[in-house]
Amino acid sequence: MTGWLLAAPALAVLAVAFLWPMAGLFRISLNRTTETGAMEAALTTESYAKLLGDSFTAELAWNTLLLAGSSAAVATVLALPVALMVRAASPRWRGLLALLGIAPLLVSATARLVGWMAILGDQGLINAMLMGSGLRDTPLPLINNWTGVRIGLVESLMPYAVLVLIAGLGRLDPRLEEAAATLGAGRARTFLRVTLPLAAPALLAAWLLTLVLGLSSFITPRLMGGGRVFVMATEIYDLALEYVDWPGAAALAMLLLGALVLLMLLRAVTTRGAGRRA
Amino acid sequence: MTIWQGAVLGIAALAAVAAPASAQNSMTLMSYAGIFRENYTDTVVKPFAAKGAEVQFFEGGSSSQMLGTLRAQKADPQVDVVIMDVTTAALACAEGLVEPVRPAELPVLAQLAPMARSAGGSCGPAVTFDHLVMVYDTQKVQPAPASLMAMADPSQRGAVGLAAPPNIQGLAVTAMLANANGGDWKNIGAALPALKSIAANVQTFDPKPDGYSMILNDQLRFATGWNARAQLYRDQSKNRIGVVLPDEGTVFQINTINIVANAKNRGKAVEFVNHALSAAAQKAFTERMFYGPVNTEAGVTPEALGRTALAPEYRSKVIDVDWGEMQKLRDGWNQRWRREVISAAPR
Repeated sequence: MTGWLLAAPALAVLAVAFLWPMAGLFRISLNRTTETGAMEAALTTESYAKLLGDSFTAELAWNTLLLAGSSAAVATVLALPVALMVRAASPRWRGLLALLGIAPLLVSATARLVGWMAILGDQGLINAMLMGSGLRDTPLPLINNWTGVRIGLVESLMPYAVLVLIAGLGRLDPRLEEAAATLGAGRARTFLRVTLPLAAPALLAAWLLTLVLGLSSFITPRLMGGGRVFVMATEIYDLALEYVDWPGAAALAMLLLGALVLLMLLRAVTTRGAGRRA
Repeated sequence: MTIWQGAVLGIAALAAVAAPASAQNSMTLMSYAGIFRENYTDTVVKPFAAKGAEVQFFEGGSSSQMLGTLRAQKADPQVDVVIMDVTTAALACAEGLVEPVRPAELPVLAQLAPMARSAGGSCGPAVTFDHLVMVYDTQKVQPAPASLMAMADPSQRGAVGLAAPPNIQGLAVTAMLANANGGDWKNIGAALPALKSIAANVQTFDPKPDGYSMILNDQLRFATGWNARAQLYRDQSKNRIGVVLPDEGTVFQINTINIVANAKNRGKAVEFVNHALSAAAQKAFTERMFYGPVNTEAGVTPEALGRTALAPEYRSKVIDVDWGEMQKLRDGWNQRWRREVISAAPR
């Protein structure tokens, strides 16, 4: 009971700042958009039916899942050595290294993306080096396409994966690796046969968290996609602000939210599993 | 009565007296930010305020964001007058968010061009005319291009920024090419071959922050834009930005001015609309920012008029696009762009 009382203020904020607007969004999704584009108050599932009956929605969902899934996987794999290094460091340096691992979060996402645009652009740093050294005659297209979006997304997701992995790997008992070494296993064998299996739940939790963040990412596909990258979040933006089809945008947002809630539940289950195994 | 109680009652009494007076003399205008706000404030708002009215300029973002604000404030409007794109204003009109026009209150309507009066339907009339242009880097593209197809030249690979539908510029370019190649702006099939050949050179279908800035930053050599802003960027860049009304013709983008339904300061709003549409305000704004005037008695200098689509030599190039009809077509156009134009231009 005391716990609920202590949580009451946070729950009240959550209700006002999240649940109430979500309820409003759901209500808008049940309105109707007329042929002229005007919004009409109604209680209809027309927008959901239109979205679910459109093959482009399936394409969008697949694009979104593929982009988020692959970017989350790469971010998790790249984050693992960072988390292992933090774990292996002496307690004196551990805090500082962990801070460096998540340092990108201290900079605004938009500022980081503008930085990437300066690096990856046709006149950017990489293309200047490639063309200056004679390796290429024309710019290598690293931006305004899926490649650019993946690079930007991996970079933005990595700090979150580092955070989850540092927490997950911190629970591993180092004596198990010491025992493997004592029994004659080399470093690589110890890593592959002991550390990696024990870290699997943490890796899965990191992947799921970054997957959820990737599914709802908007700024990266919008700024680095050059209008060639269509995912759920950019489509919601277009429906709301270009088509002014609020019921359609709200319905797509509710579908995305439903998918995210499912994934968060999955993440909660795996995190519990990770805790038990550790 | 304590001192505090007296003070509170005194302040309340002052507020009760002051509030109606303040409300009668002030009004809130919602429209675009940036250079539109700066120039509109200087040339239209300040002369109106000089007569004793206080005008708050509320930056509404894009037209669709302004529509969102009107929808959110429907029960308690905080804005009195809104200037927004004609297609979005039509939605606001259909949803009852803005007032039907009352000619008896707006004598200035008699001075407006017929197209300006009819643009807003039963709601507010046009307040500015703008049109789509092609912009290019005069330092890198020579001789000056005349046709949209200059963007399809193989030497411009990766140097073109072309906004795709549902962005209104993408819709306008499609209509222009359809009209030029098929004689009917609605026939997207006639536009697609030309669009595909331009798309092969496109670096981005979503220029950010806009085509003008990307040209000035050496990221692009060609883009599409709106004439008024393009002309201003041309002046500011000392002619680095070139502005072309293409051989294929152009399409008007019209902003309308509307009084918000249940506006709190309606009296001032009516006065402001009369002022904004007046010959003096229209002349001042056109000569500053090159939006085409809607008032036929504006007396704009030939030099300024020559930089708008209302110049005699350009009038025949304006394609009569019905944006209401476009509203019905754009979903299909958007799908065809995605499947046949953008997908044919991978990077």
